[in-house]
Amino acid sequence: MLRGLHSLETCTYNGMDMTVLERQQARLKWQQQQNYGVQNNNPIELCASSVPQIQGFLGSSFGSGQLVEMKKPEVYLGSDDFPKFVNLSVAGPEFSASKMDLVPPEAAADYCISRTSSCQMTAFQTAVMNEEREDVILKKMESTTGRESFNKRKVEAVQDDKCKDKRIKGEVEGESEVKTKCSTEVSRNSSKGNSKASEVQKPDYIHVRARRGQATDSHSLAERARREKISKKMKCLQDLVPGCNKITGKAGMLDEIINYVQSLQRQVEFLSMKLAAVNPSVEFNVDNLPAKEFPAYVANFPAAAKSPAMANLACLQFNPLQKAVSCMLDATGHPPQTATEGVASASISIPEQALSSSCITQLQPFSTWNTDPQGLYNVYNMGFH
Amino acid sequence: MSPHHLNPSSLKSRFTTRFLRALTNINAQNPISSSSPREILQRYRRIKVAADKSMAYSVRSRRTWSRAMRWKLRSRSWRQASSVRRLKITTTCHQAIMKKTAHERESKTTTGEEVGFGVQTDGLRELVPGGEAMDICNLLDETAHYIKCLTTQVQREQIAS
Repeated sequence: MLRGLHSLETCTYNGMDMTVLERQQARLKWQQQQNYGVQNNNPIELCASSVPQIQGFLGSSFGSGQLVEMKKPEVYLGSDDFPKFVNLSVAGPEFSASKMDLVPPEAAADYCISRTSSCQMTAFQTAVMNEEREDVILKKMESTTGRESFNKRKVEAVQDDKCKDKRIKGEVEGESEVKTKCSTEVSRNSSKGNSKASEVQKPDYIHVRARRGQATDSHSLAERARREKISKKMKCLQDLVPGCNKITGKAGMLDEIINYVQSLQRQVEFLSMKLAAVNPSVEFNVDNLPAKEFPAYVANFPAAAKSPAMANLACLQFNPLQKAVSCMLDATGHPPQTATEGVASASISIPEQALSSSCITQLQPFSTWNTDPQGLYNVYNMGFH
Repeated sequence: MSPHHLNPSSLKSRFTTRFLRALTNINAQNPISSSSPREILQRYRRIKVAADKSMAYSVRSRRTWSRAMRWKLRSRSWRQASSVRRLKITTTCHQAIMKKTAHERESKTTTGEEVGFGVQTDGLRELVPGGEAMDICNLLDETAHYIKCLTTQVQREQIAS
């Protein structure tokens, strides 16, 4: 078993803090010495059956670094995972089991107990469950490979040292607790202990832990899970929208996103207007639009820039074309800059890139605000109002 | 970037082929020699619709916003076909859908949802097609995908022009 454990350590925690693991092992052994395991036969069976699943899962979990879609938040407070914790008692060094127990979906579905019927849970289970928090932290490492989880985990590891004593105290309290009060006791423990919110890969429900010093009722937990989801998505959007790195706060971000979407829509309109105007004069060549040849874009650009209508349209409006230029900058593979802020940035960034000179000549006309032919300008205005 | 370009079934290639087809159709239908403003405006409208349509069809109803956009385009084309009965049907359907979505929205807001950013989400809902019927989570997802598709559209149109 120890062999398996060590292999788990090496493969799971590459580059991770090993001291947490060692500490947990030491604590586990201490606990086992204090009170030897629960005496239900069921958990043993559970353990026996879940081990192969665990090992199977071990293999699969390392490859997946993706978040699972959350379906329904469920309060973690000891409702469904008790039998899995019991596994820890039966196979002490099977540290892996304790971690993986959270995960195997088939096992979870079978072993879930409702909160009211958690009478089977004994004090030892509560104590064991307190261990799970760190396991959960480590588990989260596997399920989410984001940097945030890494940082959180490290913070937790630091805090774990301080709170170890508190947790042991809590465990002692839990030991003397009666069965029916298990759930509330667990909730108290979880709020006292240094637990953190975690998300487990499960098909049916999500396990979320209450953070230290926060409310533990199901509503607030569910809301917290939702909020975290939303903030994650906001971060994704932040990557998409150029120039959002400096803006903090949801309101500002949303404003920026709205502006960006509006500018993109305007760009589309502007370009379709350009197409409508340009088409009669320039022969519309299908070969100019390779779907697969990216360098062809740069090659085509001088050809497109030479068309007279292009130069005219370039003067039509400042902003959309600036946005169009920023779009071109993006298209050439340049990392999205804050090109939405001012021409200066756009004009400066252009020389930095390997764009053709025709692009610069295109910029100059509109930067000097040349007048454009009346017809096109009127049409453009008509189209917009 | 380059793997996308090489992928024959990527969003970009799908959009490009459809868009090109639409443009050639428009060109074939209305060979314009003059550049009178009205004609250009007409063409502009058609091209815009073609662009939207090709994008929405490239995404193929996998996303809510594409479904909403396709629905809008379809209802618009039905309206242009000037069939009164069809128009009534579409408007009643639309009203039913809007009622349902408004109800959904109300129920969502009353379930203790945290409304930390109410005003901007409304703005976003207006922008993203089909955004009225979604809660914030899905709205953000749809916005991300919509932004991605819009950038694709703009790039391709840039190349085309």
